[in-house]
Amino acid sequence: MKPAAFAYLAPHDLDEALDQLAEHGADARVLAGGQSLVRLMNARLASPAVVVDINRVGGLDALSLVNGSGPARLRLGATVRQRTSELSPEVAAHAPLLAEAGAHVAHAPVRSRGTVVGSVAFADPSAELPTALLALDGRVVARSRSGERTIEADDFFTGPFTTSLAPGELVVAVEVPVTAAGTGTAFVEVSRRHGDLPVCGVAATVTRGDDGSVAATRIALCGAGERPVRARAAEDALTGSDGGADAVAAAAARAADGLSPIADCHGSADFRRHLARVLTGRALRTAIHRAAGEADNA
Amino acid sequence: MSTVEDRPTTATTGSPRKNGTERRWIGRSVPRKEDPKLLAGRATYVGDVTLPGMLHGAVLGSPHAHARIVSIDTSAAEAIPGVKAVLTGAQAAELVNPMPAFCAEPVPQTAIAIERVRYPGEAVAIVAATDRYIAEDACAAIRVEYEVLPAVVDPEAAMAPDATRIHETLDSNVAFHRVLDFGDVEGDLARAHTVVRTRARWHRMCASPMETAGAVASWNPFDKSMTVYSNSNFHNFLPWAFAGMLGVSTNRMRMIPCAVGGSFGSKHFITKVLAIAGALTKATGKPVQYLEDRVDNIAANDNVGCDRIYDAELALAEDGEMLGLTLKIVDDYGAYFQFAHGQHGNAMAQPTGPYRIGSLRYDVSCVLTNKVQQGFFRGAGADPGNFVLERLVDKASEVMGIDRAEIRRRNFIAPEQFPFKTPSGNVYDSGDYAAVLDRALELAGIDDWRAEQERLRAEGRYLGIGLATCQERTGYNASEWWFLYDNPPLPATSTPESVKMDVDAMGGVRVEVGCPLWGNSPETVVSQVVAEEFGIDPNDVSVTYADSTTGAMSAGPGGSRLTIMLSGATRGAARTIRDKMIRIAAHAMEIDPDDVECVDGTFRAKGVPGASMSMADIGMRAHLFFHSTPEDESSGLVAVHTYDHPYSTPPSADRTDMGAFYPMVSHACHIPIVEVDAETGVVTLRAYYAVNDCGTVMNPTLVEGQIVGGIVQGIGAALMEEYRYGEDGALDTPTFREYLMPSMHEVPEIVVEHLETPSPFTEYGVKGAGEGGRLVAPTAIASAVDDALKPFGVWVDELPMTPERVVDLVAGAHEGRP
Amino acid sequence: MPETTSPEKVRIRITVNDVAHDLLVEPRTLLADLLRGDLELTGTHVGCEQGVCGACTVLVDGAATRSCLVFAAQLDGTAVRTVESLAGADGTLHPIQQAFHENHGLQCGFCTPGMLMGACELLERTAEPDPDEVREALGGNLCRCTGYQNIVRSVCAAGQSMTAAKNGAQA
Repeated sequence: MKPAAFAYLAPHDLDEALDQLAEHGADARVLAGGQSLVRLMNARLASPAVVVDINRVGGLDALSLVNGSGPARLRLGATVRQRTSELSPEVAAHAPLLAEAGAHVAHAPVRSRGTVVGSVAFADPSAELPTALLALDGRVVARSRSGERTIEADDFFTGPFTTSLAPGELVVAVEVPVTAAGTGTAFVEVSRRHGDLPVCGVAATVTRGDDGSVAATRIALCGAGERPVRARAAEDALTGSDGGADAVAAAAARAADGLSPIADCHGSADFRRHLARVLTGRALRTAIHRAAGEADNA
Repeated sequence: MSTVEDRPTTATTGSPRKNGTERRWIGRSVPRKEDPKLLAGRATYVGDVTLPGMLHGAVLGSPHAHARIVSIDTSAAEAIPGVKAVLTGAQAAELVNPMPAFCAEPVPQTAIAIERVRYPGEAVAIVAATDRYIAEDACAAIRVEYEVLPAVVDPEAAMAPDATRIHETLDSNVAFHRVLDFGDVEGDLARAHTVVRTRARWHRMCASPMETAGAVASWNPFDKSMTVYSNSNFHNFLPWAFAGMLGVSTNRMRMIPCAVGGSFGSKHFITKVLAIAGALTKATGKPVQYLEDRVDNIAANDNVGCDRIYDAELALAEDGEMLGLTLKIVDDYGAYFQFAHGQHGNAMAQPTGPYRIGSLRYDVSCVLTNKVQQGFFRGAGADPGNFVLERLVDKASEVMGIDRAEIRRRNFIAPEQFPFKTPSGNVYDSGDYAAVLDRALELAGIDDWRAEQERLRAEGRYLGIGLATCQERTGYNASEWWFLYDNPPLPATSTPESVKMDVDAMGGVRVEVGCPLWGNSPETVVSQVVAEEFGIDPNDVSVTYADSTTGAMSAGPGGSRLTIMLSGATRGAARTIRDKMIRIAAHAMEIDPDDVECVDGTFRAKGVPGASMSMADIGMRAHLFFHSTPEDESSGLVAVHTYDHPYSTPPSADRTDMGAFYPMVSHACHIPIVEVDAETGVVTLRAYYAVNDCGTVMNPTLVEGQIVGGIVQGIGAALMEEYRYGEDGALDTPTFREYLMPSMHEVPEIVVEHLETPSPFTEYGVKGAGEGGRLVAPTAIASAVDDALKPFGVWVDELPMTPERVVDLVAGAHEGRP
Repeated sequence: MPETTSPEKVRIRITVNDVAHDLLVEPRTLLADLLRGDLELTGTHVGCEQGVCGACTVLVDGAATRSCLVFAAQLDGTAVRTVESLAGADGTLHPIQQAFHENHGLQCGFCTPGMLMGACELLERTAEPDPDEVREALGGNLCRCTGYQNIVRSVCAAGQSMTAAKNGAQA
């Protein structure tokens, strides 16, 4: 199990990286943490002719609060490690869902190399972080020689391990809106073994209105489709409700509507639908508690 | 016909252990001598062996489960710089012979497929190159044209007369079928008050040691000799079989053992890696290392355990007395039959468990399919047997309304009934099963857990308390691989183990063992025995590993035999040398040998303070001063002692009595505590208690290590480990991302205690302990899950209990499914 | 035949167990293979080449890293530490190794170097970890022999003995 030969490029700045990606197009793969890419290369499931290692590109390792036009956002650069994000006070304060989901990713040594952006760009339909990004209504910042664009998470994931990124484009950051007071979030999953990809996982955000009713919710699932998907029927069922037990149950019952999960040795499509319903209920209950400012296990 | 009276003739009765008084070193947790080199990263595993000019091998495996090889084009691969040889199956067959097998049926197997592939991952071509990367480049450049054939995946469907045949040399895919009746099975079924039945499924799992199998082979074309480094365990057991396969005369074949990164039964034979490295070294004239990668190891080794469907019934009298047991078994052997029905020969050692069950029917069909062949994995066929028997006992408890501990107690073989001859012929040496059960219930604090269970149920949580009381037959006899045949290809064996011991001129003790360092503790065990016999410090004993040219006989670790056999061999050698030293000392001190005793490494005149000789005094005399030793003694202090299996008898000709072949029988009661999430199907171990009786405990810490490690493998068997195949026969679990083994997070605190009923058959009374954990844990955890989900009325009859299976069980119970 | 068509080698300067190396490596050479091959440090074991088992864990700039998932080419300017750095040349075991020895934290020894290096990183950060902290740090390292219980005990004991030694030295 050894990788095929490739050319190794280690640009020192973003322009150089973008030039290299432009030159090699689909023949190139970006190497950040490498915890998924190198695994695939070892198995020769990926054999890129060129690997562009962006770890030496300056300025990509910033994790910052952006207060520009529009609502405040948390921005994680392309080489921010998962472990850094998970332990970051900013992330804990402004996007706790990202930390909670991130803690489920593999194991500490993998997370200390693996990057948040890398996981998003890899677009594994079972992975936690893309799902968290989707639930948080986050977006992807992509740069190429022809400029920068942002892609909403809703539009970014197009299929298993595929995204709407164009050849020559590099994800330089992901951004998530700051989770405001009155919004609760939760991530729950079932995995066969601690640290493994979940059979199914649910990331939920719930915002309660002044009257206590559910003003908005986003529910995203992993392991439940060909890409991270939103449980829109469940969102619709919950929105406007009182967020009580019956409303949550009714929403959870709709969580698998329209899903077409991929079956594998860890679970059939039916089982994943079942888990989507069970876990959506659990995630919503926790998120609603948190939205009300209640402590966990209250 | 053998009887219980056919005891070993040697006086080997172990006396009850009185630690600290009669024995100084047997029974102590002596720190492991093997550790420092392993901890320092300085042990030499086969992957660490480098020889001058060494090449690296790689294998191209079949992507199909079943296909005809139409053509193979190796030209592009051969053109890659650094590639030194590319061999197809046909080319390799000119260099090495087919892989040896222990079956009577004509099931030919070559390490590299010829004309037809029969399981996914089966080798189609092999490469030697200057490094592994280039070797794999070459594999990727080989073009193979296949004609895909229908894959035979379902073993029951494979039995149909019109099923696609796996081997044209056979009339059917049922390679072996036999029904063996012991006792009055029909009568017991007829007079039973209750018969409980189950259809149980035990899926295939693999040993998955952290190190894969590998070999470095070096052919010398000038003297036609071959040197092989490997992690095989059989270099001193069946070196002739390897030599035959490699086309080397047995006296020009040298096999050198390496440190082994775990085996659990999977590296006994590993003929595939030896054949691949052997063919490549012969093709290139250079040493070649071939080390499986993980996919090779999971997909294409003899690494896989049983894969069985049981239709089983247990007949009971009204008071819960177990009368008879019938087991109808379909076992999916995969595409080849290397160890024949060995895993059933093994299971035959203890099919009726610790109970006085009077009759047994064992109906076994070994079926060939398009999957990788079975080999051995810790438990070796007795593992599913324990699972099914204990499930039946639990079911009887439930159906008959007899407490599950009580029904066991009523049926246990009582201490005074040993040695006990089982219906199928094997003999159990000793035990006190009720004492083990009672202690386990006490240790677990059952009442507290029942209270906790009740409390949690009120919260809608499901805690379960498991119980299993199982046998661990120890000290295997390889006859079990073939003795179910009417006309076995080989006669019965005693599976011997030998050591060579010497005391040098300065009194230093060296022991050379025939077994490898497989993750067990041969150096520690041997040192403890030497220390016991001479009264010296175990740290002062030096232990080395013999290669295959020394004449050592060893079947190595396997079938929980090593401590039994090594302690027997070492004690025998020590006694021989000690007796000679006593004679020399007596001669020197001019007293009768009976008046010399060996204490603390000195030979003293009994009752004469100050009159003594050290080991060095005697060693120097024995080595150099012939004229100062007794007249009839030759110089030197060397002994080779071979310890044959302490108690085995051949089967009867009609196979109504399989004979005593696995008579050192350990016993354990396990009580796992689980919590089941009934909605997601996730099973979490909360606590685990095990009380074990493996006779005299040689080294408590090391035995506990074996038990705990085995229990965790059993947790894997219960919850995670399973080969899964698609309908087309594709293996869906080829890496550690799909084939799941427990991590630290899945393991609770495990509490182990020992009771000791020494074996009357072995030196010091030791029994084996290597497989006990895994032989008990799966069925104990199944029992715990049943108990947790009792409000739903589920019945676990299939492992592993994956989240999906548990959810299906709960849903099925809701829907009233059986 | 042409010498090679493989891509250009990459120059790296790395320190391994305090020894500086200036090397030309093929881009695809995995760190595990560089260590085990060119540098003859075979104490680092390779178990799965998929990053699942953790056997190949080494420290890169102090961080526990799966050496099967890192190309040597990426490591210019880094310091790598392997199991060979732990014991003294006189055979004195490192306190973590000693704790594994005393607590029977190993059987076959194949996963052990990865466990030891993971433990090094943990104990650098958390002097006296509790069992849950050990599981969090080493939970991605598979062991097929021990059942883990004694590994967890070993790491906890190592933390205690190292802390005691440090306090003793300061006292």
